[in-house]
Amino acid sequence: MIGLNHYLLLGAALFAIGIFGALTSKSALRVVICVELILNAVNLNLAAFSAYVAPKQAVGMNFVIFLMVVAAAEVGLALAIIISLNRTSDVGAIGSIRRLRG
Amino acid sequence: MTTAILFYFYAAIAIAGALGLVSATKLLHGVLSLFATLIAMGGLYLLLGMEFLAAMQLFVYGGAITILVMFALMLSGPEAEEVHVTGVRLRWLPSIISAVLFVAIALVVWQAKWDVVAPHALDTQAIATILFSRYVLPFEIAGLSLTIALIGAVVIARQDDMVGVVYETAAEPDPEEPYRHHSEDEEAAK
Repeated sequence: MIGLNHYLLLGAALFAIGIFGALTSKSALRVVICVELILNAVNLNLAAFSAYVAPKQAVGMNFVIFLMVVAAAEVGLALAIIISLNRTSDVGAIGSIRRLRG
Repeated sequence: MTTAILFYFYAAIAIAGALGLVSATKLLHGVLSLFATLIAMGGLYLLLGMEFLAAMQLFVYGGAITILVMFALMLSGPEAEEVHVTGVRLRWLPSIISAVLFVAIALVVWQAKWDVVAPHALDTQAIATILFSRYVLPFEIAGLSLTIALIGAVVIARQDDMVGVVYETAAEPDPEEPYRHHSEDEEAAK
């Protein structure tokens, strides 16, 4: 029988894999992609809680909808910044971005 | 029983896609395996009885965000496909951090006692009623923030000399090295 714990554990596994990917990235684009994976894991947790704990209020489901909006805005802005950085300084590696350092 | 089989099927696809993302040597392959994960997440939402969320997952993540990431990957030139993962000896600390996070979350999940209630199917009409009555202000703010973010993305990604002039900035091929990237690839192959 599949319960709430199964979904939460799956979400935790995806979250941990996403954290690992974001920490081992050298390119900014890969960090953004891994953050998308992390957001998806969080979405799965929220949806599972919504379905198992408070299905009538549908609070978690609405959170997931808003999180999708925020994720779309975030990925759009992040990709614009990466394209702009690539054009102005020919770097894709996050280690070599030093313009904003004091 | 069917639910269990489908859950493990989708969960296996999701985990395999995520592992493929973090272990891909080419970023494009990583994006494609993340696409498999996103599709499997849509199936999991269907198992939870949330058809609307499954459709939104396929539209927004499987469609829009994947295409957006691929566009950025192709626009950022051949440098983006080069080495983008830290070396093996720099991976032990991220491995420990993510393993500790997973074990900690799993311990909390096992020990917690949730007040699980009987499932209650919500059709799309009920979701719309909740979204447009109780959450109408966050809904409007979310739409406004998405508009602002996308306008800002256009402003950031636009070239300053691109206003009005499009064709003059197209790069002339270098007469000495017209196929620079190809020759580099051949040298790398050797």
